[in-house]
Order: sequence, then C-alpha cells, then structure tokens
Amino acid sequence: MNEQLLAALSQYGPPALCGISAIAAVGLPLPMTLLLIVAGSLVSQGVMNFWWAIALASAGSIAGDVAGYVLGRWGGSAVLLRLTRLLSRRSGLDRAQKQAEKWGGAGVFLSRWLVTPLGPWINLASGTIRYPWPRFLLWDALGETLGAVLFISVGRLFSDRVLALAALLGDTAWALVALAAAVFLAWQLLMWARR
Amino acid sequence: MVTLAGRRPAIVYSVNRRNQGLLIGLAFLLSISLTAVFAFRAGRHARHMRFESESIRPWMSVPFIAHTHHVPADPLFEAIGLPPHPHDRRPLRRIAHDENRPVSELISRLEQAIAAARPPGVEPATPGRAGPR
Repeated sequence: MNEQLLAALSQYGPPALCGISAIAAVGLPLPMTLLLIVAGSLVSQGVMNFWWAIALASAGSIAGDVAGYVLGRWGGSAVLLRLTRLLSRRSGLDRAQKQAEKWGGAGVFLSRWLVTPLGPWINLASGTIRYPWPRFLLWDALGETLGAVLFISVGRLFSDRVLALAALLGDTAWALVALAAAVFLAWQLLMWARR
Repeated sequence: MVTLAGRRPAIVYSVNRRNQGLLIGLAFLLSISLTAVFAFRAGRHARHMRFESESIRPWMSVPFIAHTHHVPADPLFEAIGLPPHPHDRRPLRRIAHDENRPVSELISRLEQAIAAARPPGVEPATPGRAGPR
C-alpha cells in the first residue's frame, strides 16, 4: 500500500499529494510524514513546485480534517447525547466541552504536525464535543500549513536520505510523546506519595 | 457494627490507594521504557542517515534513484535498457510491468550501474560509509 502511494506521488506529483492527504486526514493510517518528505525531495529535484506542494498538501489535509469534524459533530454528537441521557451525566459533558474549548486549540494545532497519528481522533472528538468550528478551522489550517512547510522543507534539505529521515522523525515524535507521558506520570506519582 | 461499617471503606480505600500507586508506577516505567526504545531507534536512523545510502525501492523512479545516489540518470537508464529520458518518472515497478521483467533484476542492474558510475576512489556507501554528498 505504502509503496503504491509513494509510486503515485512520484509519478503524478501534487494532485496525488492532495488526494492522499485528504484520505489520511479522514483517518486511514497512511504514512503522511514520509509522503511529505518525499514530496520535499521531489521539489529539490525540480519535479514539483515548492508552493504548489505546500498548498495542495495543506488543502487536502484541511478538507479531510473538516470531513472528520463533521462526521463527529453529526454522528458522534447523537451517540454522545444518547449516552449522557442514559447515564444522566449532562454536567460531565458540559465540563468536557468547557475543557475542550480551553485546551482544544492546542490539541488541534499540535496533532497536525507533531503527533500526527492522533489527528483523525482529535477531529472526531472536536466535532463530537462541538468545539466551535471557526476556531477548529483556524487551528487546523495553521497546524496543517506548518506541518506541510516543515516536512516538505526538511525533505527538500535532506532530499537524498528520505526514508531514514522519515523514520528518524517518526521515532523522535513518539519518543517525545512517551517522555511527556513519563513526566506527567512522575508528577502524578509524587502527588500520590504526598497524599 | 458501626465500627466495622466505618472501617470497611477505610480498608477499601487503602487497597485502592495502593493499587492506584502501583498502576501509576507501572505506567511510569512503561513510558520511560518506550522513551528509551524510541530514542534508541531514532539514534539508529540518525546513524543510518549519516553513513549509509538509501536502498533502492520499487516505488522509486530512475531520476529519483540517481538523485539519492548522486550519480547521473543516463547511465542508470542505459543499465536497464531504456533510452535516457529525464522526464520518465515511472516507478521501477511500473517499468518492470511495462517491460515484462522482474523488479529485482532492475534493482540489481541499477546497483551495479551506480557502483560503476561513482567517481574513482569513492567507495560504495552501503553499508557503513557515506556516499558523496
């Protein structure tokens, strides 16, 4: 599957990048970081235009993210409302919505370019808890554009080492996530010991 | 009865509290282990990036392979029996299909052509040494 996507990108360029970005943003586990880095390498080889690649990759991703948000808002909200009615926990849902409004922007923004595997889930969750859509769109567009600029530029810079670079960035991102979790849990452990 | 009833929640609370600490501790150890594993893997990829050439994959086109190995594309096209064409962006898999030849044969011919196309005195980069940058 990945080989076919990379072959399509190599052969058809930005339109393929746009389509694949949209499908990945909806939730299919596609190697977007690798594809953006390969796109950067193709830019460096003169096969793709830098700005076109960024514009189409961002546009595709934003379209897919919005689809995920809409799916969560219409489908997820109905399920959630039925559940809260069943459990009589309306106040919990309201609290979750307030928390999401406070921290949702950072979550949407960071999951576009730093912890990309969480992106589709955050889209669904944002729609489900009815995170305000203009704010979702703003953070989404900023994050996706930053991600496209970042990964395409890095691919352009290290255009002869794309596979190793994609693997390096993927593992570094997960190492950072695991480290953040470790710091949080250490703090929780400290609080537990003091109680 | 009152004393017993009063104590029971305290015992439950104490067990739950211990379990809670154990769970947090285990999750902490797991996250530290995962950090170490991913950091080790990242380090290995960084070394690979620095010292080894990219391997040839069926999704790559001939100009792409030429670029990643720092050799001209023309001898690579010739090595697989195709006329040199800088705009031929077909992946190796597609070329193999069009020419009715196995991909592995194309890759092996390209590897030989890359070794031959390197300037004299430059050792092949894979494995262990960096290619010309």
